[in-house]
Amino acid sequence: MASQAAVDKHRVTAVLVSHNGAVWLPEVVAALTSQTRPIDLITAVDTGSQDSSTKLLKSARIPFISADVETGFGQAISLAVNKLPKSVDHEWIWLIHDDCAPAPTALAELLAAIDDRPQVVMVGPKLLGWHDRTHLLEAGVSIAGNGARWTGLEPLEYDQGQHDGNHDVLAVSTAGALIRRDVFEELGGLDPNLTLFRDDVDFGWRARAAGHSVMVATGAVAFHAQASANERRTVEVDGAFLHRPLLLDRRNAAFVLLSNSSWWILPWLVIQLLGTAIARAIGYLIAKLPGYAADEILAVGSLVVRPGLIIAARKVRKKQRFVSARVIAEFIPPRWSQIRLASEGVVDAIRAKLFPENNQVSTTSVLDANEDEDLLTPVNTNHWFGIFKRPEVIGFILISLISLLNSRNRFGALVGGALPISPAGATDLWRTYFESWHQVGMGSTVATPTWVAITATASLFFLGKVQFLITTFFLVAPVLMMFTASKLLKRLTENTWISIPAALLYAVSPVAIAAVSTGHIATVLFMVLAPVVALLLSDVEKIESFTWRKIAGVSLLLAVLYGFSLMIFVIGLAAGLISTLSDYEKHAQEANAPLYSLRLQKRAALIFVPFVMNVPYSLETIKNPTRLLVEPGLLISGGGPIHALLGNPGGANSLPIWLVSPILLALIVSLFSSTHARRIAEYGVGALVIAVVISALSISTHGNEASSKVWSGPVLVLVTLAAVAAGTVLLDRLRETLVLSHIHYRHILSALLLFTTFAYSVLAIGWSVTKGADSLVQANRATVMPAFLSVEKDVKILVLREVGSENEKKIQYYLSRGKDISLGEPDVAPAQTVAIADAARGLIDGSGVTSSSTLSDFGVKYLYVKAPFKREIIRSIDGLGGFSRTSATSLGVVWKVTAPASRLMFVGADGVRKELEAGEVGARTYVPSAGTLILTETYNRSWQVLENGYRLDRNKNEQGLPTFTVTEAGEISLIHDGTIRRAWLSLQLIFFVIVLVMALPAGRRKSEISEKELA
Amino acid sequence: MNFSRPLRFIAFVAGAITIASALNVAVSKKSYSENYPAVVCPPTLPGLSSQISLSSKKTQFQRLQNRSAKTDSVKVLRLPVMKDSLLFDAQGSTPVVWQSKTGNWAGGAICSGPASSQWFVGASADITTKGRLIIVNSGLSDAVVDVNVFTENGKQPLRTLNVSSKNYLVIPVDSLAPGDKTLTVNVVPRSGRINSFMIDEQGKGLRALGGDLVNPTTSPSRTVVIPAIPNQGKKPGQGAAPAHVLRVLTPGDVDASVTVELLSADGVFIPVGLNSRSISAGLVTEFTFSPKISSSAFAVKITSTEPVVAAVESSVAIGGGKDFTWSTAAPELSEFTMAVTGLTPLIVFAGSEINVAVEVTLVNGKSIRKAIKGTDVATWRVPAAARSFTITKVGKQTYAGALVSSVNGYGYFPIAPGSVLTRVEIPDSNIRILNP
Repeated sequence: MASQAAVDKHRVTAVLVSHNGAVWLPEVVAALTSQTRPIDLITAVDTGSQDSSTKLLKSARIPFISADVETGFGQAISLAVNKLPKSVDHEWIWLIHDDCAPAPTALAELLAAIDDRPQVVMVGPKLLGWHDRTHLLEAGVSIAGNGARWTGLEPLEYDQGQHDGNHDVLAVSTAGALIRRDVFEELGGLDPNLTLFRDDVDFGWRARAAGHSVMVATGAVAFHAQASANERRTVEVDGAFLHRPLLLDRRNAAFVLLSNSSWWILPWLVIQLLGTAIARAIGYLIAKLPGYAADEILAVGSLVVRPGLIIAARKVRKKQRFVSARVIAEFIPPRWSQIRLASEGVVDAIRAKLFPENNQVSTTSVLDANEDEDLLTPVNTNHWFGIFKRPEVIGFILISLISLLNSRNRFGALVGGALPISPAGATDLWRTYFESWHQVGMGSTVATPTWVAITATASLFFLGKVQFLITTFFLVAPVLMMFTASKLLKRLTENTWISIPAALLYAVSPVAIAAVSTGHIATVLFMVLAPVVALLLSDVEKIESFTWRKIAGVSLLLAVLYGFSLMIFVIGLAAGLISTLSDYEKHAQEANAPLYSLRLQKRAALIFVPFVMNVPYSLETIKNPTRLLVEPGLLISGGGPIHALLGNPGGANSLPIWLVSPILLALIVSLFSSTHARRIAEYGVGALVIAVVISALSISTHGNEASSKVWSGPVLVLVTLAAVAAGTVLLDRLRETLVLSHIHYRHILSALLLFTTFAYSVLAIGWSVTKGADSLVQANRATVMPAFLSVEKDVKILVLREVGSENEKKIQYYLSRGKDISLGEPDVAPAQTVAIADAARGLIDGSGVTSSSTLSDFGVKYLYVKAPFKREIIRSIDGLGGFSRTSATSLGVVWKVTAPASRLMFVGADGVRKELEAGEVGARTYVPSAGTLILTETYNRSWQVLENGYRLDRNKNEQGLPTFTVTEAGEISLIHDGTIRRAWLSLQLIFFVIVLVMALPAGRRKSEISEKELA
Repeated sequence: MNFSRPLRFIAFVAGAITIASALNVAVSKKSYSENYPAVVCPPTLPGLSSQISLSSKKTQFQRLQNRSAKTDSVKVLRLPVMKDSLLFDAQGSTPVVWQSKTGNWAGGAICSGPASSQWFVGASADITTKGRLIIVNSGLSDAVVDVNVFTENGKQPLRTLNVSSKNYLVIPVDSLAPGDKTLTVNVVPRSGRINSFMIDEQGKGLRALGGDLVNPTTSPSRTVVIPAIPNQGKKPGQGAAPAHVLRVLTPGDVDASVTVELLSADGVFIPVGLNSRSISAGLVTEFTFSPKISSSAFAVKITSTEPVVAAVESSVAIGGGKDFTWSTAAPELSEFTMAVTGLTPLIVFAGSEINVAVEVTLVNGKSIRKAIKGTDVATWRVPAAARSFTITKVGKQTYAGALVSSVNGYGYFPIAPGSVLTRVEIPDSNIRILNP
C-alpha cells in the first residue's frame, strides 16, 4: 500500500482478525481496499480458521499471522501490533473484524473527525446491519449497571440519521475502531482476560480513566454481521466455556464492571449482577432456553470462584488511571432509561401479539387514484346515533341494563346462597389456602381447593379487596358471558343479528340467572369461560394436530376451571371415555396405532394434567367422591332431573319451572338438522344426559349433614352453550331454506322454536329484573354472629338456627368459631361429631341433660340460639341445666356452658379441669403441673406439643380428642405441623410452573434465528 | 334423512331420565323426636291440702326440689301432696290437682307442661283478699319471669322476678296492685321452665267468702268460650239469684266491643246489657249478670273486635258456707286423656253441635264408652269409679269445662290437655346457618 503522508498527517495500519469468516471476508477485503483514504498498511491475524479464510487472505495478498484457535481478539491484535514497525507519531491502528465491512469513506471520515481533536484516542464508525443496511446497530456503546450492553437504541432501530454527529462516548465497538497506537500500547492493548466481547467497553473505560477521549464519528459507516454474538460461528477462544457466546458475554460484562468500577460500589454491583443473572435465567427458563439460563448463572459463578482475576485486573487499572473511574458516570445509562426500554419492549411485544401487523401490501398506487371520485361518492349521511342500530351495541347495552337492574340489591359485600362472606383482604384467602389446619367446626385438615388461591390472585387486580372482586365479578358476569358467547357464535355465523341475540339468550339462560342469584361462582365462571374453551377445542376431533404447547395452554385454562369445580373434570372424563371408545372402534377399521395412541395421549393430557395441577384437593376426591360434584361455597340444593332436562338447575332462586327455556327444543330440532348444528346438538344432548343423571343424586358434604340434590349448573352450561350454538347454525341459513321450500314441518318447528325463544326471553328478563333481583345473594347483610361473641379469640359456640320458609322451617346447628363463615371455609368444613350432634339433639327435644357436659368436653363455651326461634325450645334449654344465660337480645339468646370449656384444657393429678390460654392454631402457654392436656380439636397426627424441646406423648381420649401427657410443670408449645401441606403445595407449584412454561411461547437461540430476522 | 342417529340420542335422554328417576329417591326433609314433657303441679301452701288425680299407679314423679334425675312411681291413683310442687312424667294423661282449705273453699287445676305465657283472669288486691301467685321453675337453670298486672286502673308497672332453678316463688296478689279490686295477671317467662298458678281467697272482715284456683289461659283471643259456669239458682229464702261477674280485659292498645252470648239448656241468648259493650283497652272491666235459667250450669261465648281474656266469677253455696269459682276460658276440645280419680266432675260441653265420644277407664281397669251429643250445651257426669277419661272423638268448635263440688267447696277446671305430645324436629348439622 502506498503511504498517504501526503494526504494527511496520520498513518493508519489496519489489523484484520479472521476466524472462520470466509462468508464475509471477500466483502471485507474489498471494502478495505476501496477506501477513499487508502490504508497505509494492512495486516491480518488468523486464529485457526478451518474454512477458506487463509486462502482468501493469501489471494488478497494481505500478510497474516497464524495464531492458535483459542487466541482471543485482543491477543490477536497484540500479536499483529507487536510485529509492526516501531511506532511513529499519529500512527493509528484500525481494528477490523472479518465480518465487518467499512464503507469506502469510513476511514476518511474517522480521520477527519479526529483531525482537530488530539485528545481522542479511540474513534469508531456508526455500525449498520450486514443484511439490512438501514438497521442501526451501534453508534457508540456503554455498559449498564447490570452488565447489559447498552447502545441506547431501540431493537431493530431504523437508521434515519437520527443519531448522526460526532459524539463523546464511553467506547466504540472494536469492529472498525480506530485506536492511537501509542495509547494502545501504553494501556497494554485489549485486556487478554476478555478474549471476546466487552473488550471494547473495557478499553474505552480504561482510555477515559487514563484521561483520554473516545468518540463515535457517524460520518463513518461500517456494516457488521456480529457473527459471534449471533452464533453464526463457533466461539472457540480461550475461556469460552463450552463455546457459549452468551456465557462469555455475561462473564466479560461482569468482569468489566468489577474491574473498572470504584471499589465502594462493588457490593451493589455484585447484587445487581446476581439479581439480573437470576431474573434473566428465569426468563430464559420460561422461554424454554435452559442453556441460556445456565449461561447467565455460570457467567457470574465463574467469576465468583476466581476472585484473583478481578483483583489483578483492578491493580493494573489502578496503575493506568489518571482520573477517577467515575469519570465515565455520564456514559452509564440511568436505570430509568433501562426500565423504559424494557417496558417499551414488553408493550411492543404485547401489541404485536394483540394487533399483528397487516403485512399485506397494497398494490394500488396513489397514482391510480381517481381524484374526481370524491365528487362521485355520495356524502355519508350517517348520524352518530347510527351506531345504536348495530346489534352488538344494542345487545350489550341491553345486557348491561338487565345486569344493573338485576343487581340492584347486590352493590356491596355480597353474601348469601352458596356464597359466604368474603374476607376483607387477599391475605386472608392466602392464609386459608396455605394453612394445614382450618378452624372450622371441630377443625379440619381438608386441602383447600385451588379456587381460593386463584381468587386471591385475581383480587390483586382489585387492590387485594376480595369483596370488590366478587361484587364486580357478579355484576359484570352477564356481560362477560355474552361477550365470550358472541365471540364463539361469530365463528358460526356472519350474521350478527343472529349471533348477538343468541349470545344474549346465553347470558339470560336459566343456568346463568340461577348461578348469579344463588352465588354459584364456579358456574358463573364456567358460563364466562365455556365459550372460550369451546373456541380452543373447536377442532378437538383432530386432537392429534394439537401442539403440546396448545395442550399445555388449554390445560392451564381447564386447571382454573377444575380448581373451581371438579364437576368439569367429570364432564371431561366422560367425554374423553366416549371419544376413546369411538377411536377404538375406528382403530379396528383403520389399524393406525400411532395415530390413535397419539390421540389418546393428548386427550389424557387434556383431562388429567389439570387434575394433577389441582393436587392435593383433587386427589382427596378419591376418598370423598362427592366432592367431584360440588361447587365452591355452601351446598345449595338443585331442582332435580326434570328441571335439568329443561336446562334449569332448579332449587331456590332459579327460574320457575313453568318458565320453559327453548334449550331442549333447540337441541332436539338440531338433532334432525342436516347442518353442523346436528353435531353440536349431539354434544349438547350428551351433556344433558349427564346433567339429568347427576341432578338426581343427593349428596352431603361441605359441612352439610343433610342430603341435598346435586346442583348440575356446570353441566347445564355446556347444554345451554350447545343449544345456543346449534340454534345459531340452524337459523343461519334457515331463512333462505324456508323461503325456497313449501310449507312443511320445518316451518312449524322453526316457528315453534322462535316463539318459544321469544317468549322465554321476554319472561326470563322480566323475572330477572323483578323477582330475580330479590335473590339469595344480597349485599351488606347483617351477620349471624353477634359482635360480642367475636371478642373472645377462637371460642367455640354451638349455634342453633331455624331456617327455611314460613311453611317449611327446619332447625339446624353448627359449631362457630365466633364469627360467620367466610369464603373457602365451607369447602374445608368437616362432618359433625356424633357426640355434638347428640348434644344438639338433646337441646332441641329437651332430653339433653348431658348436653352441657358434652359441649364442655369438646371445648364449646357458648350456646347461641339465633332469633327467631321457637320459644318452647329456648325454655327447654333453660330447664336443662349446665347452661347459664348471658344475654337475650333481639338477635338471639346466648348461654354459657357452666363447666370449664376452652380450646386447650389441662387435667391435673386432682382431676380438676382447667382452661388454658390457646391461640388460633398454635399456642405457647404454661402448664402448672404434671397431668394431661386435652386439645378440643379433631384428632390429627400433626398436632404436637413440645415441652423443653421434647415432644409430649400424644393419645386419643374417649371423645376422640388429642391428649398429651405432661410430665412436669413448664412452658409448652402447641403446634400443628404443616410439613405435609407445604410439600403438597410445593408439588402443585412445580406442576403449575412446568405446565406454564410449556404453554408459553418458546424462545429461540440466536443460531436458530434467520439472517433476515437478525438483519 | 337418516333418523336413526338422532333417535338414538333421544333414546339416551329417555334412558337418562329413567336412571335419574331410579336415583331420585325422596330425600327425607325432616325427622322428629316425640316426647311428653313432664307436667308440673302446684305446691301445697300452708293451711291447704292437695290431692292429685292420676291415671296410673306407675306414673313417675319427682319432687320439684330434687336435683337428681331420679323419679319414683306414685303407686296410688290419687296422690295427697303435703308441700312440694311435683313433676309428673304423665305420658299424655293430664293430672288434675284438687286443693282445698278445710270448710272454706276448694278448687281444681290441671297440671301442665311449661308455658310461654299464662293469663290469670281473677283475684283481687284489696285488703280483704288473700290471693297468691305461685311461680314454679322446674328447670335446672335460674329463670327470669315478667309479671304484667292489669287492673281497673290500667296496666301496672312491670315486675320482673328471678326464680331459682327447681324452686318456686309465692307472691301475695295484693302486692301486685295494692288496693285495686279487679286483677288480670299475665306471667311471661323470659327464660326458664315456668308454670304459674293462682289462688284467690276472699273474705269480708273476718268472714271467709271462699276461694278458688284460678286456671290460666294461654293467649287473648277474639272468641272466648267459658264452657262451664255453675248456676245454683235462687234458693228458698234468698232474695235474688246469685249474680255472676264477667271480668274482661283487652290487653292491646285498642278498645274492644264485646258481645256475650249465654249458652244453656234453656237456649242461647245475650244477657241484657251485654250486647256490643265497649271495653277500654288495658282496663279490667267487670259486668254483672243474673241469668234466669233453670240449668245448673251454662256456658258463655264472648266475641270481640279485639283479642280479649275473660273469666266468670260465680258464687256458690256449699253446705252452710259460701264459695265462689272462677270459670275460665277453655281451648277447643281435642283428643286427649285426663285423670279424674276421686273427683266425679260434671263435664259441661259447649258448642253449636256437640258430638263427643268418651272412653272412661275405671279404677278397676275396665273401660266404658260414652257418646255425648247435643246442641249449645251438654253435660255429662263422670262416673264415681273413673280414674280417667279419654276424649276419643270430638267435633269442631266444641269446648268443655269441669265443675266439681266437694265438702269444702266448689271448683272448676277447663277440659284441656296438660300433658301434650311434643314433636320436635331433630336438627341437622349445616354450616350454612353461619351465613347470613
